[in-house]
Amino acid sequence: MRSIQSRLSLGLVGTLVVVGLALAQVSLWLFEVGLHRYLESGLRKESENLLMALVQGPNGMELDQRRISAAYNRQFSGYYFRIDFDSQTWRSRSLWDTELPKPATAGLHDGLELGPAGQQLLVLRADYRRQGQAISISVAQDYTPMRDGFRRMQQIGLGLGLLALVLVLVLQRLIVTRSLRPLERSREQIAQLQQGKRTQLDSEVPGELEPLVAQINHLLAHTEDSLRRSRNALGNLGHALKTPLAVLLSLASSERLKDAPELAAQLREQLEQIQQRLSRELNRARLAGDALPGAHFDCDVELPGLLSTLGMIHGDGLLIRHDVPDGLSLPWDREDLLELLGNLLDNACKWADGEVCLGIRQTLESYLLWVDDDGPGIPEDARLGVLERGARLDEQVAGHGLGLGIVRDIVEAWRGRMDLQASPLGGLRVHIELPRRAGR
Amino acid sequence: MRLLLVEDNVSLADELTASLQRLGYAVDWLADGRDAVYQGASEPYDLIVLDLGLPGIPGLEVLRQWRAGGLVTPVLILTARGSWADRIEGLKAGADDYLSKPFHPEELQLRIQSLLRRARGLANQPTLEAAGLHLDEGRQCVSRSGEDVQLTAAEFRLLRYFMLHPQQILSKSHLAEHLYNGETERDSNVLEVHVNHLRRKLGRSVIETHRGQGYRFGGALQ
Repeated sequence: MRSIQSRLSLGLVGTLVVVGLALAQVSLWLFEVGLHRYLESGLRKESENLLMALVQGPNGMELDQRRISAAYNRQFSGYYFRIDFDSQTWRSRSLWDTELPKPATAGLHDGLELGPAGQQLLVLRADYRRQGQAISISVAQDYTPMRDGFRRMQQIGLGLGLLALVLVLVLQRLIVTRSLRPLERSREQIAQLQQGKRTQLDSEVPGELEPLVAQINHLLAHTEDSLRRSRNALGNLGHALKTPLAVLLSLASSERLKDAPELAAQLREQLEQIQQRLSRELNRARLAGDALPGAHFDCDVELPGLLSTLGMIHGDGLLIRHDVPDGLSLPWDREDLLELLGNLLDNACKWADGEVCLGIRQTLESYLLWVDDDGPGIPEDARLGVLERGARLDEQVAGHGLGLGIVRDIVEAWRGRMDLQASPLGGLRVHIELPRRAGR
Repeated sequence: MRLLLVEDNVSLADELTASLQRLGYAVDWLADGRDAVYQGASEPYDLIVLDLGLPGIPGLEVLRQWRAGGLVTPVLILTARGSWADRIEGLKAGADDYLSKPFHPEELQLRIQSLLRRARGLANQPTLEAAGLHLDEGRQCVSRSGEDVQLTAAEFRLLRYFMLHPQQILSKSHLAEHLYNGETERDSNVLEVHVNHLRRKLGRSVIETHRGQGYRFGGALQ
């Protein structure tokens, strides 16, 4: 969808161009009409003057040269006349040797071209009667200077109009940018929200945006709250189920069942299944997934705690290194990622002889995570089988964890990929690729 | 070895107490966080197993108060909240290990065993070694130059304590405090009898008597 800014600009330009052109055209036309009328009255006065200059001389009708304008005697002066009697035609000297045609009807005519200079003439023909004979006086005036002036005015007007348009557009852009600034701020805040730099949008916004921002904030708070509540409820459920399960497991391996070893074995087996299923499903249900846009995992803050925890659990003999760029922040829920990394590293620590290494890299489309250990590793043909559902990588090592099963659940929930490779340290490398989430 | 078990679920606590006692640990049981804060700091425990969901004061708070008060006893946290976020929080509060419920009793025993050895700075091996003796804690018997010697439960408890504290002079009252829980009557004559039994089975030189001070294990071999 086009931005509000460009829509406004387009609309404004369209309106301005249409209205401006129409206005300019109409005013030019009105001006021209007025000019014609003014010139017509001048020409009419001229023709009347000429009529007055017709005097009865000794040889009949003649023109009194003193009473006509000198411009009629100068060659191509721009002022011309012809007087048609019944039998003869007089022409002004200014016409020289060209012919001023007699307009077919009385009244104003334009568009007549005359002489070598190509003068555009405006001609007025007026018909009179004098002493019983019809006299038709046509007075013409060169219209070219006026037309040129008119053209120039048109050009200047167009230039001014364009200038005004540009000015209006610039001003409009400024004004729109200014009034859309709260919108832009909200947009930036949403971006920050997605990068995990804030948890709520600023509610100091103009009235038009307030319901939107309030609704987003409400949704965020609601999502966070319901996530917290459901995690709490799951924790409580887990607690409620796991403690009795611990009692039962303990009972199943107690001395009291020594006489019924088969019963004890079966009890243990079933209880173990319940326990695994329970842990797995509870862990899966705890995943925040994509619910919170602002979730993020700050490696610098979280990793030291996680690694020292692992170091404490697995003893001092183990070197746990990490190869993570400074200031890296992963766009997923903290608890989910701790669960992922914790289980991965825990698994590696169980198998490692002396060294475990966690690596995280950021690429354009994804985040790469890998955990290396220097343990026995897994032969290439067995790797796929280990990743299959239900396989337990940690069967032979103390800790009945579901390690990689949970990791796989998390990776699947994030639409990532997980595979097992040979580690440069000599053991197994678990390699995970997590695609970036949209808008991050 | 004397343990404090802080767990509010009575059935679980009963089961754990019974199984830990079978393994030769003296166990005191508390169900309330407030009692635990006091007793954990005042009695000389070798290890504390702490549940996090406690009435009175939450387990993590109990642990923080102990650590703030300078208590260095290893603490193993037992909890139904097994997420790594919780685990990290627990270890930050000063726990030494973390076991999430439900767990196999054997796993708890192994964790306790390795925590006790780690606290003494010993490597986590299948058997406990000191002064040429190899103690198998699972079978509760000791071997000396490849030859197994059977032990009674009381002898095993005493020998294990000695082997975890070799070369140290241990007074009778110290031994009694660490071998019996708060409810057992402490009779120092019983201790003497067990020491004599151990000497008979493993040789006189294994445990020296320092008159007026106490016993010392493995001193003659140095």
